Amino acid sequence: MDHSDWANRILSLFLCAAILTMIFRARRGKQPFIRRIPGLTAVDEAVGRATEMGRPMLLVSGLGENDLVITFQAIAILSNIARAAARFGNRIITPVYVPQVMTVVEQAFQEAYNAEGKLENFRPEDIIFLSNQQFAFAAAVAGIIQRERVAASFLFGQFFAESLIMAENGNMVGAIQVAGTPSTTQIPFLIAACDYVIIGDEFYAATAYLTREPTLVGSLVGQDIGKAAILLICIIGVVLTTAMGPDNPWMHWFNHIWWSK
Amino acid sequence: MIKAIGDWFNGIPEWLHRMFPAHTGAVGWAFILGSVLLCIVLFFLAQQLRPAGRKAIIVTVTFLSGLFYVLEFYVPAKIVNGQEENFLTPFLPVVSDLAQIVAAFALGLGIYSLVTLHGKKVAKGSQGWFYSLVFFISLIAMTFMGIWNWLPVHKDIKVNNNIHDILYLGGLNGLEGTMFSVIAFYIASAAYRAFRIRNAEASLLMGAAFIVMMGQVYAGQWLTHWLPTEGLLANARVETMSDWLLTRVNAPAVRAIGFGLGVGLLATALRIWLSLERGSYFDREV
Repeated sequence: MDHSDWANRILSLFLCAAILTMIFRARRGKQPFIRRIPGLTAVDEAVGRATEMGRPMLLVSGLGENDLVITFQAIAILSNIARAAARFGNRIITPVYVPQVMTVVEQAFQEAYNAEGKLENFRPEDIIFLSNQQFAFAAAVAGIIQRERVAASFLFGQFFAESLIMAENGNMVGAIQVAGTPSTTQIPFLIAACDYVIIGDEFYAATAYLTREPTLVGSLVGQDIGKAAILLICIIGVVLTTAMGPDNPWMHWFNHIWWSK
Repeated sequence: MIKAIGDWFNGIPEWLHRMFPAHTGAVGWAFILGSVLLCIVLFFLAQQLRPAGRKAIIVTVTFLSGLFYVLEFYVPAKIVNGQEENFLTPFLPVVSDLAQIVAAFALGLGIYSLVTLHGKKVAKGSQGWFYSLVFFISLIAMTFMGIWNWLPVHKDIKVNNNIHDILYLGGLNGLEGTMFSVIAFYIASAAYRAFRIRNAEASLLMGAAFIVMMGQVYAGQWLTHWLPTEGLLANARVETMSDWLLTRVNAPAVRAIGFGLGVGLLATALRIWLSLERGSYFDREV
């Protein structure tokens, strides 16, 4: 089993401290500014369009099996979309890939409908565990998209090669599509096939953007501090390596300490 | 004193193995059945708790589970028998087994969902009921053959292995391969839309894609093969330009996205671990 080195310990500690500090600051009432994210602004547009067309919406929480944190984040985003759907009276169909996730999705969506006072419109039978085989799942989702002629499709979470099958089928039926994934290899495919794509850490900023909950907004600011710190380390590293040369004994000593376990 | 505590800690996994030795045969099955029954009883007892009580249990278990993995990873380790190990490493298999057992229960919920959904369709004879029937036949056939093959007494009966291979390798694998190959057509249609030159960004994308594609194929490399391999003109060779785009433009962008994702993942994991997650379902009754 692999263990942490000192570089990892120091950086993780700093990042955790920054995130927690900002969360508690935001909870005390300091609300920071969040820039506009077009993909998330499009959520209401997509839900509104589905309402006008009288057709259902598709919500997929990805294929994350080992990375459940990503799936939890996806469910958090989708439950906010489910809330909008409950408000407008849309039907939502949610195919699920990971069996463990199904009950969490069911509970989250039930809460979303309950929060809007529309619990009677909640349809648990539309949250379907299809298969935990990648392409069997993709084929089934493509079938749902074609049969139900979904008006909007939201693909959030971890995706692999099957992302294009789902996104292209959504495109074929003319659905407005919003996708967000941390899988960098799938971003180009989703950009080609979807109307809006949330890339990189926007995926983790989505819930903060949609809810403006102080804890999440504070966490977002903490993340930005962390990224600024990483950028600073990169710049210092570039400057020092360029000025001193990679074979400098001081650089060797620093590397030895920094990467030691 | 610290060494004595460390030794005591390291002795716990061995003690656990002595307390709960592996059983086979009827005793083993009795233990498995007893454990399942115990879990079902615990599940129903948990259902009787008030939401606040359930939430307290979830928060505590989440924190302790997370703490175990955090400490196991961050506490400095020594090399023991060629492997990095600290005082928590011997417990990793035990905790991983626990996680697998919880996942197995969740799989049962997934199967329950599928059976309910397709059972209703077959019972009502609603649209597509035939496919639901196919689901039941496939589920029963694969489960039966899987268990049959797993039992050691049937290992040498070739007919059973053949049926399993026909169903799994010939059926499921073949179907999966078919779906995978369909992606080629989807890539073509998506690429056609993405590369249509409509504005400056699309033109840039088309140009970059053209160079990278040409750099990967022999025909593309042949176009500039007459240029020298060294010196200033070497930079105009298609494969050099393709490599420059991939390693100097694409790779830094992907790494930058990766940094953001890593920090975002850490923040989300931290919120879930410390039960600070808000705004969706984490702050409400569970």
